[in-house]
Amino acid sequence: MEGQSGDIAVTSANRKCSAVTGSARKIKDNAADWHNLMMRWEKLNEEGFDVAGNIVNMRLTHSRSDQLLVDESSLPTSASSTLWQPTGGAPELQDECCKLQNVINKMGVVVTKMERLMTSQRAVQDLEEFQFGPEGRKFPLFHSWNTKLFEESSRALLESFCQELKLKQLILQELAHTVTSDLCMVFLSCWLHQPFIPPQTRLMLEALLLETGHRPL
Amino acid sequence: MSKPALLSLHQALRKSFQGLESNQKVWSDVLAECSPLMVSLGNLAEQWRALSNVQLSNTPLRDFPDLEERLRFKLVQATDTVLCKLNGKMSSLQSVRDSISNQVSAVFQLYEENTDSLDLLTVTERSVTAPSLSDMLEWLQDAERHYREQYPFCSCSHWVGFSFYSGSVFPQVMFRFLRRKTLLQTLRADDLSLLESAPKRWKSFESPSAEDRITDTLCKVSFFIKS
Repeated sequence: MEGQSGDIAVTSANRKCSAVTGSARKIKDNAADWHNLMMRWEKLNEEGFDVAGNIVNMRLTHSRSDQLLVDESSLPTSASSTLWQPTGGAPELQDECCKLQNVINKMGVVVTKMERLMTSQRAVQDLEEFQFGPEGRKFPLFHSWNTKLFEESSRALLESFCQELKLKQLILQELAHTVTSDLCMVFLSCWLHQPFIPPQTRLMLEALLLETGHRPL
Repeated sequence: MSKPALLSLHQALRKSFQGLESNQKVWSDVLAECSPLMVSLGNLAEQWRALSNVQLSNTPLRDFPDLEERLRFKLVQATDTVLCKLNGKMSSLQSVRDSISNQVSAVFQLYEENTDSLDLLTVTERSVTAPSLSDMLEWLQDAERHYREQYPFCSCSHWVGFSFYSGSVFPQVMFRFLRRKTLLQTLRADDLSLLESAPKRWKSFESPSAEDRITDTLCKVSFFIKS
């Protein structure tokens, strides 16, 4: 893409795009990686939401029939405690839980990659300090951000996703053991709305893409 | 009896029915677009209800102290988005209603200007292809009333008091629904139940029989429109 920019009018934006090397190259690639990882996360989130929904449906139908059986067994005349069959639907439930585990594992991989991006960003920053001293380079690598800002935004993004991953892991642990429908709903709600990924995350990504020239100004 | 008056009135009626036909289509299209939004609203209400029923500090989620606040924020955001879209649909419905009202009142104005020259026979006379003037005027009025009566469901927009929007899109109905709106604003804790009942109330505003009557009317005048 950069190679064919010869016929495009050279502006400060795309001139830098066309031949970025060194730290700028690294930062620009990182920004692209952030974008791809976040897209991947979104896809996994949707996938996981469907599975989590299935788990909740299974749990709730089961607990409802359990409830009926418990009611029955509470009658003194019936010896219906033997009717309670925990294995009914258990393999399917197990299946769905494995699927969800799988999704979360993949999300874990995404977060690990994000951590790597963060490390690389940190290294760029360290290199700059080594080259230019503690106040960094005089001229920004792209439009206006100094290198520190890239590191800070990476850190904020990483924190959001780390926290969200923890929440999702907790949901995975609890979801299949939850019988109250309200709590199930809250779990699903958490999964869907991703409370630890605020709207600013998206804005930050866009800012990153804008600054590095992935998005035209 | 005045032929020109009759002719111009026929012309106006024809135009009005044509307008009614196209507006009916727009109306039902917009309503159809609203249904998925109402479903989303119902889902969100369910999520709100669940969240308010659960004491998060008694659940495993207590490990995340600011979770509830964050989730609420996300829910407000999602609810807002849906309500905003509904508001947009409401203004489309309103413009349909206004356009029907305007056309009908134009026809009636024309009729009233010419009442002197239109005797009873002219007004009630009908032919094979054209219904009588009085019938057609009545149908138009019925249709106009139907869309006007459908309007109260636009008061739904006043739940918007729930989030950050007021019903300012509908200044004309503000007066009529002022009481309801004030009630909403004072009973903030009741917002959730309002939100929950919203899809049901929405459904209750549907009146397929009235819509069918309008379709019937349009069938009855189909020859007249084309003539």
